[in-house]
Formats: sequence, C-alpha cells, structure tokens
Amino acid sequence: MRVAIIAANGGMFDAYKVFNIATAAAATDAEVGIFFTFEGLNLIHKEAHKNLPMPAGTEHFQEGFKKANVPPVEELVGMASEMGVKMIACQMTMDVMSLEKEHFIEGIDVGGAVTFLTFAKEADVTLTF
Amino acid sequence: MEVTVNKVLDAKGLACPMPIVKTKKEMTSLEPGQVIEIQATDKGSTADLKAWAQSTGNQYLGTVEDSNILKHYLRKASAEEEKTETKHPDVVSLDDLLKNLDGNEKITVLDVREPAEYAFGHIPGSINIPLGELEHRFEEIQNAENLHVICRTGNRSDLAAQKLTDKGINYVKNVVPGMKDWTGPVETKQ
Repeated sequence: MRVAIIAANGGMFDAYKVFNIATAAAATDAEVGIFFTFEGLNLIHKEAHKNLPMPAGTEHFQEGFKKANVPPVEELVGMASEMGVKMIACQMTMDVMSLEKEHFIEGIDVGGAVTFLTFAKEADVTLTF
Repeated sequence: MEVTVNKVLDAKGLACPMPIVKTKKEMTSLEPGQVIEIQATDKGSTADLKAWAQSTGNQYLGTVEDSNILKHYLRKASAEEEKTETKHPDVVSLDDLLKNLDGNEKITVLDVREPAEYAFGHIPGSINIPLGELEHRFEEIQNAENLHVICRTGNRSDLAAQKLTDKGINYVKNVVPGMKDWTGPVETKQ
C-alpha cells in the first residue's frame, strides 16, 4: 500500500490529522509520503512544530488531549521519521517564506510539485489536510 | 479466560495510533507462529487491530475484556503455513470430520494449534497439544483411537500427522483445510 498526503495547514489539529494517519499507515507496512506546503510547513519546522496553535475558541480541548493521553506532536513526528515516512517540504513555499532546509527537522527532503505527483501517481490512497 | 502467550505488550492508557504503532514494533521481535497479548484501554483498538492484522497478513485471534482492559490476542503469521501442499497421504475433509464426529466409531480430534488459538474456538472434546510440544507430550495421545489432526490451515496438522505416523501410530488422518473454514460446533475456553 502506498499513501500520499498533502499537508497544507499549520495548526495543531492539522498536525494530528496528518501524523496519526501517516504513522498508522507506516505501522501497517504502507509506504508513506507527505508533501508539506504553505502553512503545512509549520508541522515540520524545527521550532514551530513543538508549539502549534489550536484553532481559535478550541483552547478548552487542551485538557482533553491530556486526558486521552495523546502524544505530543513532536513525538509523532519523531515516530513518523523513525518508521521511514518520507517528508517533502515544498521548495516554492520555502522561497516565498524565506526558509532554508536547516530550519526544518532532520531527514526531510525538499522538492517541487512534480516530486509529489510522481510519488502520488502510484498511490493507493491520497489525502489532503 | 487464561491464555498462554509468548509476549505481553502494555498499551494501556495510550491513544490511537499508539497501540498499533507499538504492536508493529513488538511483532518484529516475535518468531513466526508466536502469540502476543496486547493490553489496551483505547476502545477503538479492537477494530483497529483486527484491520491491522488483516492488512499485514497476521492472525487476529480474539479479544477479552477484563475489568475495563481490552486484551487482544494476535499470532504472527508464517509464510510456510499458508502453503496448502500436504505430504501426509491420509487426509479427510471438514465435512467428513463432521460425519465421523456424529458416527458410531469413536474418534479423537487432536488440535495442534497454539493454546491461544485453541482458547478462542475449538471443536468440543478435542485435545490441544501445540505442534512444538508434540514431541514430549506424545504419551498423552499414543493410545488414542482413530486420530484426526487439525490446525488452522492444514499445514501444522500435516507435520503433526507425519510425526505421529513416524512414531508408529496407525490410522492418523490430517483434516484439511482446518479451523479457518470449520462451520461445525465450536467451544470457547472459559
């Protein structure tokens, strides 16, 4: 199974949507690739991914995350990376936002739209968050 | 229900997808054919582990709820046993086994699967000796009459039937394919 994901949003909820599916798929022997574009780059930004904003008005869910023992985003990112999830940062957005590869977590690739499309062409599941 | 396992994984208190991620990790340390018990409190873990086992080709045995803890039992698949090639010449079908069970002649059903597989459903009255223990528990069945050996797919029972024949037991039958397609009466260990 191959799973191709586009991460285009940069909130904490978005991070869970992306990384829960990605780690579950990787644990099920799937080949997983995520293309991070626009605000989605926050999810793999060295500093930003450790403190992602919750959508306005949902701050009270903070307690729910604790109660349900949901792992921090940082831990999920580490796990995804450990399980071989391929993470591609969008070159074009990086240029717009003046970001360099060293601003991101270890082990990511940088690529353009065609890099993702080539991976997604053979995917069994394609998701956008 | 007491179930014998090779490994216990504590995934209590963990939220999705952690029980799956941990299971995946633990499975790599198991030998094919071994059984793992996964303890979880995540209510979604039952459906998830069933689906996970199906996707990865492993065997989901069942789940027991024990004071708010879900205990899931999985058996690591082995590529070998999916082959249906059998070498023991005397085979009987599941239909024939059902007929023989209802017949006048006394038969003994020997189930050579792991205790955890046996616990989640077996033929009433069958004896459970896992294939790996047959060598040193041979005495328990050496006087059994009309031995019908069964497993999940017909592969382990084939090896057991050959072994028993080598030991000098006559009239050993291998039941094919096995419990995976059995529609007759089933008993669950309490």
